Amino acid sequence: MGLKNPAEQAVILLRSRLCNPNFIFTLFSDSPDSNYSKLKYIISSSVTESCNNSVLLLGPRGCGKLAVLELVLEDLLREFPDMISVIKLNGLLHSDDNCALKEIARQLCLEHQLAFSKMASSDENSQFLIAMLRECGLAHKTVLFVLDEFDLFAQGKQRLLYSLLDAMQSVTSQAVVIGVSCRLDADQLLEKRVRSRFSHRKLLFLPPSREDLQRLLEHALLLPSGSDLPHEFVANFNSKLLNIFADKMFKDIMDTVFNTDSTFKQVLTFLFSALCHLDLKRGFLSVENFKDALSNIQRQPKLECLKDCSILELYILVCMKRLEVREHETCNFNSIMKEYKSIHDSFQTTDYYARDVCRRAFEHLLQRELISFLDNRGHGHSIEFRPVKLLISWQELYQGLKSYGSCPAILYKLVERETTT
Amino acid sequence: MAETPKKRSKQTPKHQQHDLSSSNAITIPATPVALEPTPVRRSSRLYTTPTAATAPPPPPPRFTRRKSLNFTTTTPTPIPKTPKKPAPQSQEDAAKQISPISPDRYETRRKRKLDEEKNAGLAKNKDLKGGKKRVYYRKVVYDGGEFSIGDDVYVKRRENAESDNEDPEVEECVMCFKAGRAVMIECDECLGGFHLKCLKPPLKEVPEGDWICRFCEATKLGKNVELPVPPAGKKRARTAKEKLLSSDLWAAHIESMWKEVDGTYWFRSRWYIIPEETAAGRQPHNLRRELYRTNEFADVEMESIIRHCYVMNPKDFSKAADEGDDVFLCEYEYDVCWHSFKRIAEISNNEEDAEEDESDKDWNSCEITDSDSEDDTDYKKEKINGSQRGPSFGHSLAANLRKGQFFGLQKIGAKKIPEHTRCHKQTEIGKAKAMLLLACLPKSPPCRNKEMEEITAFIKGAVSDGQCLGKCLYIHGVPGTGKTMTVLAVMRTLKIEVDSGNIKPYCFVEINGLKLASPENIYRVIYEALTGHRVSWKKALHLLNERFSNGTNWEEENNKPCILLIDELDLLVTRNQSVLYNILDWPTKPHSKLIVIGIANTMDLPEKLLPRISSRMGIQRLCFGPYNYQQLQEIISSRLKGIDAFEKPAIEFASRKVAAVSGDARRALEICRRAAELADYRLRKSQSLNDSAGTRRSLVGVADVEAAVKEMFQAPHIQVMKSCSKLSKIFLAAMVHELYKTGMGETSFEKLAMTVSCLCTSNGEAFPGFDTLFRVGCKLGECRIILCEVGVRHKLQKLQLNFPSDDVTFALKDSKDLPWLAKYL
Repeated sequence: MGLKNPAEQAVILLRSRLCNPNFIFTLFSDSPDSNYSKLKYIISSSVTESCNNSVLLLGPRGCGKLAVLELVLEDLLREFPDMISVIKLNGLLHSDDNCALKEIARQLCLEHQLAFSKMASSDENSQFLIAMLRECGLAHKTVLFVLDEFDLFAQGKQRLLYSLLDAMQSVTSQAVVIGVSCRLDADQLLEKRVRSRFSHRKLLFLPPSREDLQRLLEHALLLPSGSDLPHEFVANFNSKLLNIFADKMFKDIMDTVFNTDSTFKQVLTFLFSALCHLDLKRGFLSVENFKDALSNIQRQPKLECLKDCSILELYILVCMKRLEVREHETCNFNSIMKEYKSIHDSFQTTDYYARDVCRRAFEHLLQRELISFLDNRGHGHSIEFRPVKLLISWQELYQGLKSYGSCPAILYKLVERETTT
Repeated sequence: MAETPKKRSKQTPKHQQHDLSSSNAITIPATPVALEPTPVRRSSRLYTTPTAATAPPPPPPRFTRRKSLNFTTTTPTPIPKTPKKPAPQSQEDAAKQISPISPDRYETRRKRKLDEEKNAGLAKNKDLKGGKKRVYYRKVVYDGGEFSIGDDVYVKRRENAESDNEDPEVEECVMCFKAGRAVMIECDECLGGFHLKCLKPPLKEVPEGDWICRFCEATKLGKNVELPVPPAGKKRARTAKEKLLSSDLWAAHIESMWKEVDGTYWFRSRWYIIPEETAAGRQPHNLRRELYRTNEFADVEMESIIRHCYVMNPKDFSKAADEGDDVFLCEYEYDVCWHSFKRIAEISNNEEDAEEDESDKDWNSCEITDSDSEDDTDYKKEKINGSQRGPSFGHSLAANLRKGQFFGLQKIGAKKIPEHTRCHKQTEIGKAKAMLLLACLPKSPPCRNKEMEEITAFIKGAVSDGQCLGKCLYIHGVPGTGKTMTVLAVMRTLKIEVDSGNIKPYCFVEINGLKLASPENIYRVIYEALTGHRVSWKKALHLLNERFSNGTNWEEENNKPCILLIDELDLLVTRNQSVLYNILDWPTKPHSKLIVIGIANTMDLPEKLLPRISSRMGIQRLCFGPYNYQQLQEIISSRLKGIDAFEKPAIEFASRKVAAVSGDARRALEICRRAAELADYRLRKSQSLNDSAGTRRSLVGVADVEAAVKEMFQAPHIQVMKSCSKLSKIFLAAMVHELYKTGMGETSFEKLAMTVSCLCTSNGEAFPGFDTLFRVGCKLGECRIILCEVGVRHKLQKLQLNFPSDDVTFALKDSKDLPWLAKYL
């Protein structure tokens, strides 16, 4: 390959860093109050003291629940080689009890190099699970069950959770059930008898604070001095970056990002996007890169939708708006057409299209989800008679029209009049 | 968990006394009747040679005789086990030696075993032809020793080894090479015996705790030590223990004993193995007196038995303080095929089962056992084949299929026993944590005496009546009140009574409704539990109906009363409730002899069912109320008895907290365990930070319990609200504002967006735009802080707070970055 350009190399390094959750979260793993050390303590104590535990990892999406868990598991697998077997299930895939039991049996077989049969009934699989838990317990092996999207396992009779947790309290087993969920009330979803068996350790994952964010920025973006990159390039890159960090504009940009969504994931995506805007010829990050990234990350899909609409479609939207303001509870294609005609009649506009064309525009709007059917009933009816609703508010419409390049003045006026009245 | 053995003091006088008494016993010709009341034929083969008090003369080697068995002429004789390695010459060597692994030994042994199994097969064939049978015994008096099944014995390893001839029962002192009567102390490292007076400086009495002799101490420090040389002409006599530990002897567990057709006595042995001979070698945590049980069996002539030894589980071992020299510890089983270790499962359970088997078996007929052993051999061959062929074995032996008997589970085992599991010095908090585990069940549940009596009376009444008409008990109570545990405890006590003959035997079937794949499967499970056959549930229903309703009994012995325990009974409710009806209808049949105990959470389950079911089930009920705080306190402190880890108010606080919420004992135990964990974590943290912090209290205090309670009961939403992004906070504040303004819990996104933009403009915040706001709302909905409809509805999306608005107010009132929010809350 022969990567001559140090900037290119630096970008590759930084990108791989941003995409590697292990790298990001090692930053927060050393303090004893971090979730990392708490989780590690819980799991390792059940490995060494041969006890059972069940933990819930809760927190909004993008706060590093699974990333921290992966980090802990990696460490523990290194620390206790072949004493831990990890079974991973996902609520989206295995919320059905039979399927989950089969998957557990499959993974257990794989882990211990046993022959697995797809034919086994769920009874057999659950007996196998209990036998395995017992054997593993006797051999001082811990089985970790990682249940991602834990809330989805709490549907129905919760047979899987019950049999897991019941086995953990009755058999000589060594197992840890780790539930990962973004629903804060995940433990309330459990049935009473399941909840009673659950040991209710909860770890809460929160978005990073301002200070953490600052640390994260430096941790992720500053180039290491001891790498194979040219020394002066690294020094230059880092000093420019520190200048950017101190820049008022950069701070404002970060504030905007942070104000809307302060999770790790959002910040990392933002940084990644900024990195992608880096000009390889200049070779250094600049505030402009971050500005571009901000506009990239804060998309306004509905507004952009409006930008792509044709004039006729805008007419239809405005008609619907007018009908809505006049407190017509529902409208359908026919009533919209009537309104369209009345506008045309009263203002003598030049753009008047045939009904067929209007209908195609109407369908297009439906597909873009700027308008929608009021309910799912009446699939049999023709589109013209089904009631529809506008999905964007007048501010959005107004803004959209304003930013629309060749918007007829009459439309603009009409909407403005609606707002004033 | 193994405990350090207590100081073993070797009191020679006592030992000799013991020997005397045993030799007395030998001289008395024991009659079969006196030994055992059961009608079992037994041979008492007594040697007339008078035995010396200390060293009984070794039995003359008679291995040649083995060859006279006509069916073994072609195969090598099994008994002469030639040692693969030279026996270490002296005990000193043995102590230092970490022996190399000798895997070839297993090879030969296995081959021999297979040969022997072939022999067994041959023998059986011959038996069938000749009409002669092997005769099995439970207890054999042989060579002046009495051996029964389950005993552990020393077995000779070599033929004609002269050292086998000497068998000193008393160890000699390392220093003075005399046995003597003085008190000896055992070094925990090399197991050498020392007279107290021979030590420098001499000890007055046996010290508490571990004691290590100065030679071992010196070698530990890396010095070269010269052990005292025995006086010329005197060869050290080694005890059987020493020989065993230097692999000159074998220890074996007697599995069964029989007399061959030609009159020789044989037993089936299960070998023990010393740590040096395992693949992992001796590990640092191995105790000197530790043995592993193997999964290897062999048939050995009784001739090669030397005498008894005592292999104990850790619990007994730690209790056995001075029971002589032949005491060993065995905690793990060693798999010779896979070279892996596994803890031996609860011994009490196994023993119970074994006992049951014994009582059932007719010991005079060998048919059953023979077929048994043949099954065994088949299985073993299969196993060996399986290990060779690997996982390409096909479906028939898949691990998760029952047909394969969970094939391959023996593979699971630790290659090495992890050291931390054997670290014997647990902290008080560690002990407390172990005791508070849900899995460690007490023998009998505290605070449930009344209920236990009631259940006992119910079962006793039903069983002893003999005709048990319509016996059905419904037990209800909230989770964690000890329902299942109490019933199982009652069954345990009743089993003891059955064993002692007070009650007629019955069979007991335990089913958990939530573990059945479907309610109908219960028929299959019941049928399988009663007969051991697996049929489809429809067939099972038919057969069960036949048995219970029509009174046609399958076999004589199956005519026992049957107790059916159904846990989580409410899961059996089907649409037409036929499963429950069938099960509850059987007891009412005149010849059913069926007793049903149903357990469920809801109090009014019978009332919710069809009247024909509730009339059958709802007659006799038992309620397990939630525990009150005194009971919870008693439960916790009964578990923590003798462990100084908790402050008393802490326990009371935990039990009061739980009693106020649910009265769930599991919850109370978990809180205490969590509190102990937190305290442990705190202590470790402070230790790692600075060592001087050890002065802080190491007990679990009220603060720890409070933290645990908080974690368990408090929903984390307030913390999340406090730390969420600025826009989310504004969003939530707008929701509360909207709620106060309209008085309606539900609002739509359009209205909310208006409110947010109002709030933003009037307080100098930039309004981020509808789409961003919408995304924020959906994120909050994902965490269930608010409830919202799907995002497709956009403007029309309905929103509602999932928590009381006061929580939001509390969380956002004094947020630093948005001080103006308080105005709107």
